[in-house]
Amino acid sequence: MDIQPTRRSQSLVAIPAYNEAATIRTVVDRVRTDLPECDVLVVNDGSRDRTAAVLSGSGVLLANHLCNLGYGRAIQTAVLYATRGEYQQLITLDADGQHDPAQIRPLLAEFDRGEWDILIGSRYVARKRYDGVPVGRRLGMQLFSQLVGLTAGRRIYDTTSGLKVIGRRTFAALADWHFIDFHAEALVYLMRLGFRIGEFPITMDERRHGRSMYSALSHVKYPLKTVLMLVLGVVQASVTRRRAS
Amino acid sequence: MTAGGVLLGAAIGLVLLLWVANLIRHDRLYIGYGVIFVVGTLAAIVVLIVPSLLDAVTRGSIALLPVASLSIVPLALFTFLMVYVFAQITILSNRVTRLTQELAIRNTRQEPDAGARAADER
Repeated sequence: MDIQPTRRSQSLVAIPAYNEAATIRTVVDRVRTDLPECDVLVVNDGSRDRTAAVLSGSGVLLANHLCNLGYGRAIQTAVLYATRGEYQQLITLDADGQHDPAQIRPLLAEFDRGEWDILIGSRYVARKRYDGVPVGRRLGMQLFSQLVGLTAGRRIYDTTSGLKVIGRRTFAALADWHFIDFHAEALVYLMRLGFRIGEFPITMDERRHGRSMYSALSHVKYPLKTVLMLVLGVVQASVTRRRAS
Repeated sequence: MTAGGVLLGAAIGLVLLLWVANLIRHDRLYIGYGVIFVVGTLAAIVVLIVPSLLDAVTRGSIALLPVASLSIVPLALFTFLMVYVFAQITILSNRVTRLTQELAIRNTRQEPDAGARAADER
């Protein structure tokens, strides 16, 4: 289906939101002020609060999932939308207000140099350390950063950042592969396919409203799922490359 | 357990692991289900190939639940059946996911821009 009539820009800012009524309007208004030339898409991932209602009159594109599919699938919906709308780049950021939209422009400027297929807004690449991060989370970040380095040949220091610029070249791969949260497992898969993924230093605020998408149980399941998916991503990338050649 | 039994158990575990991994890779088994089977199967293989662990688990299981060793066979079959059932659930779930994404994309609406309208009116 062609959705080009709604497209005004080459760049689409996508904000996946699940129960983010407290923050989403502020985030959207700031993005529209800071990046007036970009289209803004909110993927409302089956929110049970007033997330969709507070966006009334905001001027954004609103895509509603009828039920909650999870962060990864919300990102994938944005990728599919960007593909059909023939956008050249997709910028993702979190709906909880932790990312400062003012940091998107320098990120875009770096991306426009053409050296990257995906550029990640990274909290840790400048210092290459995880100072101030709680111990459990720090261990996880280090583990996945090292795993990406081992399996893809280049370390990514912030594998869980939600602020990314995604170039059109990667859209097809992202639409096809069933990544979990677009973290280490997706990055390794894309890097093994030959896409260039880089990091650009940003800062991030603490979450003030709502809850993290990770429950206590998911702190156990997340690393297991991600490691397994990462290994399978390496296998799948090899199969895909062999078929392509 | 005899050496032959250990080898057979480990072989069945490896077949299960490969099957589960292949299903996950082809998006026919949700990773959240798959990881439970993978961890469970790996744990069972480790118990099988480490003699002291196997002894401890055997003693414990006989003390708690004295059943014939043949009961392992239906347990193994049941595990394979569970993987099959979860794969079917995943296939249905994927259809719902794709439908939900498609509906969201087709029904994407442009919210009116209240700020711009107010500025125009001024």
